Amino acid sequence: MVRAMLTPAELQILSTSLGVAGRAVLFSMPVAIVFAWALSRPRFPGKSILDTIAHLPLVLPPVLVGYLLLLGLGAQSPLGGWLKSSFGIQLAFSAEGAAVATAVMAFPLMVRAIRLSFEATDPGLFEAASVLRAGPWDRFWSMTLPLAWPGVLAGAVTAFAAGLGEFGAVITFASNVEGETQTLPLAINAALNTPGRDDAAYRRALISLTAAVTGLVLAEMLQRWARRRLEA
Amino acid sequence: MTLKLREVVVRRGAFRLEADFEVAASGVTVVFGPSGSGKSSLLSSIAGLHRFEAGSLSLDDRVLEDVSAGIRIPTHERGVGLVFQDARLFPHLTVRGNLKYAERRRPAARNAPIVIEIARRLEFEDLLDRPVRNLSGGERGRVALARAIVSAPELLLLDEPFAALDGRRRRDFLGLLRELSKEQGLPMVVVTHHIDDAAEIAHDVIAMRGGRVIAHGAAADVMARPEFANLLDRRDLGSRVPASAIAGGAVEGVWVRADSVLLASERPRGISARHVWEGRVATITRETERGVLVSLATEAGYILSRITPEALVDLQLEQGRQAWAVVKAHAL
Repeated sequence: MVRAMLTPAELQILSTSLGVAGRAVLFSMPVAIVFAWALSRPRFPGKSILDTIAHLPLVLPPVLVGYLLLLGLGAQSPLGGWLKSSFGIQLAFSAEGAAVATAVMAFPLMVRAIRLSFEATDPGLFEAASVLRAGPWDRFWSMTLPLAWPGVLAGAVTAFAAGLGEFGAVITFASNVEGETQTLPLAINAALNTPGRDDAAYRRALISLTAAVTGLVLAEMLQRWARRRLEA
Repeated sequence: MTLKLREVVVRRGAFRLEADFEVAASGVTVVFGPSGSGKSSLLSSIAGLHRFEAGSLSLDDRVLEDVSAGIRIPTHERGVGLVFQDARLFPHLTVRGNLKYAERRRPAARNAPIVIEIARRLEFEDLLDRPVRNLSGGERGRVALARAIVSAPELLLLDEPFAALDGRRRRDFLGLLRELSKEQGLPMVVVTHHIDDAAEIAHDVIAMRGGRVIAHGAAADVMARPEFANLLDRRDLGSRVPASAIAGGAVEGVWVRADSVLLASERPRGISARHVWEGRVATITRETERGVLVSLATEAGYILSRITPEALVDLQLEQGRQAWAVVKAHAL
């Protein structure tokens, strides 16, 4: 059905967007889980610094985030050069780069959703697990994650939906390469900047809107399900 | 198994727990005291959920915590099980999943019943594949107990495990606890604030008040002490009669309230009461305007009776005089 409604170019844009947002979620999820877990602990030295780092992408201009990534991971930077010479990975101006930029931007959303989920778990359950001989690492895998995973999933879906719309950081770090880094918002922007392509811009905007709303509804449903599950 | 606490201090906010005692935890030991006396805190501290401020704790020769020696074995390595008052079943697992969780973490060398066996024993075999959120309070309690037994601890602590039960189910549960303790060779420490439950299953008693252990030792001894009587409501004052002295299914003993004991100055004849004990008056205490407590030394131990001052005069009771205590079978 989607195939019949969209032109080949639009399909290409949509698949680039889904690919970038999907990889962004995969990249940021493990780090987000670690951050969320640490931030859900009562108190430890450096907590406010960690909290600031987790929230930074929310307040920095996206263009600045893209620029910082370019400085840190671009081919001219030591880290970027090392990635390129050792693994042949070039992040700047590539689809992977678009995913990294999107991952950074979606990071705070993900941390927040997962952290709320960790904080909503009854600490008494962890005590019950420890009297059944479960050590701290065991408890993390057998209790913390399974109890929070609906929240992790909801965080992933929200981050995915938001990732579909990331513009500033992506265009700065990965540029606008058709079929490679041109995601939906970049494609809308390109159409708007080309005289006589209002129609294309309009259609792309509709696709973008539909994708975002679907993602949000899905995240909301997951969260509701999670709440029910933890109310046992 | 010897459970030994030496000069233990645990602080929880404004609450301070102090404990210094040693009990031969074999069979069932009851921790008895009014609400807020620190019974639950004592159990949590033994399990390692609260950090000691001072003192030491050992099970037989194994030191679990010793502040001055810097030893603190974490909860998951103590081999001490704990059944919480609110069951704390894992909501993301089924009933079977909860039991398997304990089974998978049990050391290979320790024996314990397999899941299906214990589920049958505690009569919830048909619930095994249910999610735990659909269970009733009583069912939760049984599953929590089964989960703790499957984990095969060396010592099992139970925090008011029968709070959700009443009447006959409660009595059945008490009997079951005692049987399981015997069958599995598993010492249990059970918290309760119900005097009847305490008398029924306690082999030993740890009596608590205001965060302190005020008496500990054999049930027959501790429950007969005056400081133990101080823990009770006026209505609950009475005496512990050992199971050996009565007909019926009591496990360790029965609490006989002073209000349900009649006194007679001559051997009663032609009455329906099933239990008549002969003895001599040990003490007479004027309690209030309307009540006198008379303690009778009998072969079943001291039996306390509450009578009116007029009855005291009528019966001409005085210290050392022979008398009979009469108890209806229903009161046992």
